[in-house]
Amino acid sequence: MIARVTPWIALAARLYLGAVFIAACLHKIAHPYAFAVDVATYGILPLALVNPTALVLPWVELAAGGMLVIGLRVRAAALLVAGMMVVFMVALGVALARGLDISCGCFASSGAEADPISWLTMARDGAWLALAVLVIVADRAPIGLDRWIGRRDSR
Amino acid sequence: MRARLAGAPPWYDAAMGVARTIVEAAVVVALSAGAAAIANAVREDPLPWVATQEYAVHGPCPEPAGEVTAIRAGDPLIRDGRTLVIDARDETAFREWHLPGARRVEFDWVSPVPGAALADVAASGAAAVVVYGDGGDPDSGRELARELSGRGIRNVHHVDGGAPALRGPGPGGAP
Repeated sequence: MIARVTPWIALAARLYLGAVFIAACLHKIAHPYAFAVDVATYGILPLALVNPTALVLPWVELAAGGMLVIGLRVRAAALLVAGMMVVFMVALGVALARGLDISCGCFASSGAEADPISWLTMARDGAWLALAVLVIVADRAPIGLDRWIGRRDSR
Repeated sequence: MRARLAGAPPWYDAAMGVARTIVEAAVVVALSAGAAAIANAVREDPLPWVATQEYAVHGPCPEPAGEVTAIRAGDPLIRDGRTLVIDARDETAFREWHLPGARRVEFDWVSPVPGAALADVAASGAAAVVVYGDGGDPDSGRELARELSGRGIRNVHHVDGGAPALRGPGPGGAP
């Protein structure tokens, strides 16, 4: 029973994570300078890496999110999501340990008052990391391009 | 069904699957970087790939903030000989005008009050501390007062309206 249901739970997790990551990247892609300020505010990366991170990371989020939604190379996309969540959690942990009162920068640059980092942010990221791992382990792509491509190749 | 290498160990397929997934993820990152480069190149205001100067980040602001009382510019506490009056403004503003006897402890919006300045305030033996700032919104005097209070200084007040309110009518003063 569990074995039969788990792939469908993984499918729901896959679609949810995909939607979250697409939503998360839109503001960052439209406003790279604002996101660069958010990245710089964490005070972790050297200055030379702030802008490349601010420019490329949202596109990786968009690609991973889109791949999860359409079911293309799902495990690679989920691996990217899991990797990003680990990086985000490390950055959050360092910022929280330093006592920084800053904006999360997770979705939009709305300022520390409206979108502050907290241990709740860390817990949310941990939950998303768990979902990404579930997708890697349990997703059998019951719906999506991977299945369609697999059927076409097997003909 | 993918072909399997003859004589391959049982974990071969799993290892190849993991390797393939990692390679695919790397390709996605590379393609994303390419898309980012193209999108940035066609922007009206492209973000330079390497920042040439530090970002003016708002924060960190980890300093504790305590309770303070706002007093008016005419409050007798300001003229009380047992009160330590602190000017939170920068040196230029202090030189231009300051309340006689005021001590300058400039409020920095990013960095905390230096320990030596804090120790001086604590060692002053004053019965009360009154801080005035630029009277802006937010007021540097109020912010410094909150920081001093949060870091253990007792009986801290700030002048509502700051230096302009204290100067009264005249150039640079309150109307």
